[in-house]
Amino acid sequence: MAGKDKEIFDNIDGEYKYGFTTDIETETIARGLNEDVIRLISAKKEEPEWMLERRLKAFRHWQTMKLPTWAHLDIPEIDFQDIIYYAAPKQRKEGTMDDIDPELKRTFDKLGIPLEEQLSLAGFAVDAVMDSVSVKTTFRETLAEKGIIFCSISEAVREYPDLVKKYLGSVVPHTDNFYAALNAAVFSDGSFCYIPKGVRCPMELSTYFRINAEGTGQFERTLLVADEGAYVSYLEGCTAPRRDENQLHAAVVEIVVEKDAEVKYSTVQNWYPGDKDGKGGIYNFVTKRGLCREGGHLSWTQVETGSAITWKYPSCVLLGDNSVGEFYSVAMTNNYQQADTGTKMIHIGRNTRSRIVSKGISAGKSQNAYRGLVRVAKGADNARNYSQCDSLLIGDKCGAHTFPEIDSHNPTAVLEHEATTSKISEEQLFYCNQRGLSTEDAVGLIVNGYAREVIAKLPMEFAVEAQKLLAVSLEGSVG
Amino acid sequence: MVLLDYLQSRGLRANTGMCTLGDGQAWEVVINPTKVERTLRSSLSLLVVHTTTEAAKMHFDICQGASLNMVELFTADCPSECHIRQQADSECRVVSVSVAGSKADYVVDLDGSNASNRVRSVYIAGGEEHTKIALRVNHNVSDCQSDSLVKGVAGGKSVGEFYGLVYVAEDAQRTDARQTNRNIEIGSESKIITKPQLEIYADDVKCSHGATVGQLDGDAVLYMRQRGLSEEQARRLQIEGFVNDIVLSAGELGQMLGEELTAKLERL
Amino acid sequence: MLSVKNLHAKVGDKEILRGINLEVRPGEVHAIMGPNGSGKSTFASVLAGNEKFTVTEGEVEFMGQNLLELSIEDRARMGMFLGFQYPVEIPGVTMANFMKMAVNEQRKFRGEEPLTAGEFLRMMREKSAVVELDSKLTSRAVNEGFSGGEKKKNEIFQMAMLDPKLAVLDETDSGLDIDALRIVATGVTKLHTSENATIVITHYQRLLDYIVPDYVHVLYKGQIIYSGDKSLALKLEKEGYDWLINQQEE
Repeated sequence: MAGKDKEIFDNIDGEYKYGFTTDIETETIARGLNEDVIRLISAKKEEPEWMLERRLKAFRHWQTMKLPTWAHLDIPEIDFQDIIYYAAPKQRKEGTMDDIDPELKRTFDKLGIPLEEQLSLAGFAVDAVMDSVSVKTTFRETLAEKGIIFCSISEAVREYPDLVKKYLGSVVPHTDNFYAALNAAVFSDGSFCYIPKGVRCPMELSTYFRINAEGTGQFERTLLVADEGAYVSYLEGCTAPRRDENQLHAAVVEIVVEKDAEVKYSTVQNWYPGDKDGKGGIYNFVTKRGLCREGGHLSWTQVETGSAITWKYPSCVLLGDNSVGEFYSVAMTNNYQQADTGTKMIHIGRNTRSRIVSKGISAGKSQNAYRGLVRVAKGADNARNYSQCDSLLIGDKCGAHTFPEIDSHNPTAVLEHEATTSKISEEQLFYCNQRGLSTEDAVGLIVNGYAREVIAKLPMEFAVEAQKLLAVSLEGSVG
Repeated sequence: MVLLDYLQSRGLRANTGMCTLGDGQAWEVVINPTKVERTLRSSLSLLVVHTTTEAAKMHFDICQGASLNMVELFTADCPSECHIRQQADSECRVVSVSVAGSKADYVVDLDGSNASNRVRSVYIAGGEEHTKIALRVNHNVSDCQSDSLVKGVAGGKSVGEFYGLVYVAEDAQRTDARQTNRNIEIGSESKIITKPQLEIYADDVKCSHGATVGQLDGDAVLYMRQRGLSEEQARRLQIEGFVNDIVLSAGELGQMLGEELTAKLERL
Repeated sequence: MLSVKNLHAKVGDKEILRGINLEVRPGEVHAIMGPNGSGKSTFASVLAGNEKFTVTEGEVEFMGQNLLELSIEDRARMGMFLGFQYPVEIPGVTMANFMKMAVNEQRKFRGEEPLTAGEFLRMMREKSAVVELDSKLTSRAVNEGFSGGEKKKNEIFQMAMLDPKLAVLDETDSGLDIDALRIVATGVTKLHTSENATIVITHYQRLLDYIVPDYVHVLYKGQIIYSGDKSLALKLEKEGYDWLINQQEE
């Protein structure tokens, strides 16, 4: 390795600063998965019978399914009977601040997510989820004035059964894939959000997911419905303690974008990635999909820096005429991380448009793959897609891969895919060094410049966070 | 067939043999091969024509400094496998034209540094044909170049499929690889499937790929019609323009290949 | 300020600099001329610390320190500025962001507080006027999509921002039309004081009409074979290098 390469390489050992553990009494159930466990989860959540039936149906289907192996990932065998499927911090009561354990509050403070409304980031409402339960949802009353429902999914199952029955599983059915089936059987908590007809949500809604308990899996379920003409911008963040064991996170996010509605869904994924030798870290197997009706607009933005393994393809089903799907992604892998991520754009309606911008960054001994599908169905006249997938390699022990597929069944489609692979050039580093920047700063700057198009799609506060996160993942010093 | 008539006029009498073209270049011609295995130590110009549905298997070892210049024409729905292994400083140029729903599978192994490979391929599919081109280029060592361009036209109820992969092994530094697939879909029930892939394990590389699916330019068709061409003519002219650069890269044989493509267009 | 003694450097196995000697004092302007491949750009790169080149022999002292022991960025922070012959494009990184980091790194090095956003913006505005740089360029990515002339103006703009002790301008005049040349050269002249020094590397005398050198050196096969005053540049323009080279080889 040339001197400069070595230097970049050495600078990459990032410190994961969310690796602490909260010392709080946690109620957990025994390891393993069977129908009794599912009944227990359902009972703990005080669910109605129909929900339990749905869970059992999903579980029975899951038992017939096989693990998917098509991704460019080397996944160690997962013992699904060795996972704790429910863990909840004790003494939990929903309601006033006083009911929340101070230790929990401190945890979220430390993560930069204050649970007191008066302390929160201006314009943000938060649903904070630790392990299997929602701890607190802020600004619910403010939002309720506009008819917006923002609460934990567990609560929604009890309080808004009609909406949940109508939409849950309508975009990602339990038969969709192995992890979606598992999630439908055991999902614990997550957020539910409903924006009524014609309402523009006045705040950024966000959910913060935290894994704390040992040996547990997190199976979050998020359902977002933007009714006709509604608008919402939604953010999701996640972290986990540093541990030697691998923990499973298998989430499902469903989004329904009704006629002329618009949803922006942003994720900054920072699960614990494992240490520099590849020990520990979260397995992140996520199914995210949105359905757009006529004139609907769904935009996914993701910054993926965490997790030992990421398997994730936020997708858009462009069902209605004139609907629009977008996917903007930065996926950064370092050390022994593996990512296989991308999107599917399924054009069904006429005049549907989609755009994909994916920026992969591989460092260390990591493997980073973009996988995408653009499908134009027979009746999708005048469909348009543009995809740009770039890879940046840092160091000569990592891999960058691009696996797009275009599938066109309509002669009026215009589809374009472009991909390039590059590395940070010696010339760029020399130029930055010559202006007085250290190599570490120069790499951070160049990587952020490379990812700029995607980061610019995030709401301001998150964009700044994401930039810091990329720099930290790269540099080993505090951002 | 235009090409075979031409070859006969240049003296070809059997299914294999040498033939000197109008520009004075000597070509080895193989018609309907089932198996070809060759080790090349100097340069070879090879013309392969598939006119039956019989499967073909070809293997070429191109030694250091040697070169292969191959033109391949498919006029039948024939499965073919072609494996090209290249040593250092070798050169390989392939032009492949298909007008009959063939399934061509090329694997290129660049095993010696400074080997260069260039593939130019075009197919026109019509009726219920299913044309498939697979092209895997393995950069196994450093300092090699590859450049592939595959163009497809799908009409009628046909399916056109491209599966491409550029593989860059660990330590295959300074690889320069490009792979492009462009398609025009003209049948109301035709399908285009394209999977151009990159798998890269070295960092100092210049790799890119691209794929497009589109149609004829409606404005251009209108423009040509305004100048008195029929819609049919205008469409055909445009498709000819689309495939022309590939045909031209076949040199002297290009004109014949072009005529095969035009004839196919007329049958669409 | 800068003292170069018997400097040898190679790239790979090829020796390019073969014993350069040069003294530069505050307030001076030196021009280095010479035919293609004589080592002019290599000399500039070696001063800046480009790791492509290996120094095999000799000493370089800059501001009282052993320059060769310093990293590229520390040389820059001490006040060594290299104007690149081919300024590098850095996609997505805005000029403003880039310069803010560079200026504040320099300030940190000197133990000064970083500039506030307001102070920095004011500075950007003032300095971009020096080279008549379109202020829109500062919100664009570094050199990305800049024309040849804009790139060179941008180099001098950065020089103005960083206020170096020693500026080494590598073929700053190449590829410029006469108006751009005037603007760039006038910019350099405006920045010149009795406290700083400039080394101008050029092919052509025309730049020296604007930037008047105190000394002109001729570099040939990795050595300075002749030094004179500004009249030497005129003579070289008229008569070429042959007379000097012949003299050298006799």
